[in-house]
Amino acid sequence: MSNDKYSHIEDNQLLQNFYSDKNNEWLGFLLQRYTLLLLGVCMKYLKNEEEAKDAVQQVFLKAITELHKYKVDYFKSWLYTVAKNHCLMKLREKGKYGGEITDLIAESTEEPELKTTILQKDNTLNAIESALQQLNKEQQQCITLFYLQKKSYQEITDMTGYSLLQVKSYIQNGKRNLKILTMQLLKDEQ
Amino acid sequence: MNNDLKNILSNSNKDIDNQHLMDYLSNQLSNTESHEIEKKMTDDPFMNDAIEGLQQINDKAKLAGYTEQLNKELKRQTGKNKRHKDKRKWKEQPYTYFAVLLILLLIIICYLVIKQFNH
Repeated sequence: MSNDKYSHIEDNQLLQNFYSDKNNEWLGFLLQRYTLLLLGVCMKYLKNEEEAKDAVQQVFLKAITELHKYKVDYFKSWLYTVAKNHCLMKLREKGKYGGEITDLIAESTEEPELKTTILQKDNTLNAIESALQQLNKEQQQCITLFYLQKKSYQEITDMTGYSLLQVKSYIQNGKRNLKILTMQLLKDEQ
Repeated sequence: MNNDLKNILSNSNKDIDNQHLMDYLSNQLSNTESHEIEKKMTDDPFMNDAIEGLQQINDKAKLAGYTEQLNKELKRQTGKNKRHKDKRKWKEQPYTYFAVLLILLLIIICYLVIKQFNH
C-alpha cells in the first residue's frame, strides 16, 4: 500500500490526476493500494482463493471502465460497493445464496451515523452512559472492555470465555444498539 | 474516559497500511496495536469484510505472492490501456489526417500548375 512512489498522495488527488489527463497509470497506483483489501472481500464472499484472485482482476477492470464513464467522489466506499456487488453477482450466477443475498446486503447496510454536532453536546455523554446500562449483559461487557478498557478481541475472549466470533458480534451489535438507544434518549429529552 | 465513551459512536477515518494488516493477520502485533485495527474494523465495513476474508486463507505467506501477482497484472493492464489510449487519440481525430492530406494535395496541385505555367 505504501511502497509506491506516490504513497504521499491522497486517493482523491490521484483520482483528480486521472480525471485531468485520463492516464490509466494513475488508476493503477490508486487501485494497487486496495489489492489486499479487495482480495479479502472477494475471499469472504467467494470462499475460494483462485476465484477470489480472478474476482479482484475483474473488479480492477470494472473499476477502470467505470471511472472512465463517470466521476466518483468517495473512491474507497465506491470500490468496496463495486467489489461486493461483483461477488454477489458471481454467487447468484452459481446459484448459491439465492435467498441469502438479501441477508448479506441487509447485514452490510450501514447504520445512520451520529452527527458530530450531536457528539459535541454535553447531554450526549449522559445519554451514552444510560444507553450502555440498557444493553444486555454480554454486549455491555464486551463494549466496556473493548472501547473503555481498550482490550483486543483476543484479550476479551480470554477474559470472558466467549468465542472470538461471539465477541465480535457482541461488539458490533452492541455498538449498533447503543447508537439507537442514545438517539432515542436524546430525542426524548428534546 | 469521557472521550472514550464518545469514541464508541464516532468513526475514525485513519487508514491502515498493508504491512500493518499483514502483521495483524499473522498475530505479530501487540494487544494495543491489535485493538487499534479491531476498532477500525468496527467503523469500516470494507476493512471488516477484508480481514474476515483474509483470515480464511490459512497460509498467510501466500498473501504477499497473491498481491504481487495481482499488482503486476494491474500494472500491465493500466500500462497497456495507456498505449491504447494514445492510439485512440489518433483515431478520435480524423480531421487531422484529412487536413494533412489536403495540404499535401494542394502542394502537388500548385507544383503541377506552376510547372505547366512555366512550359
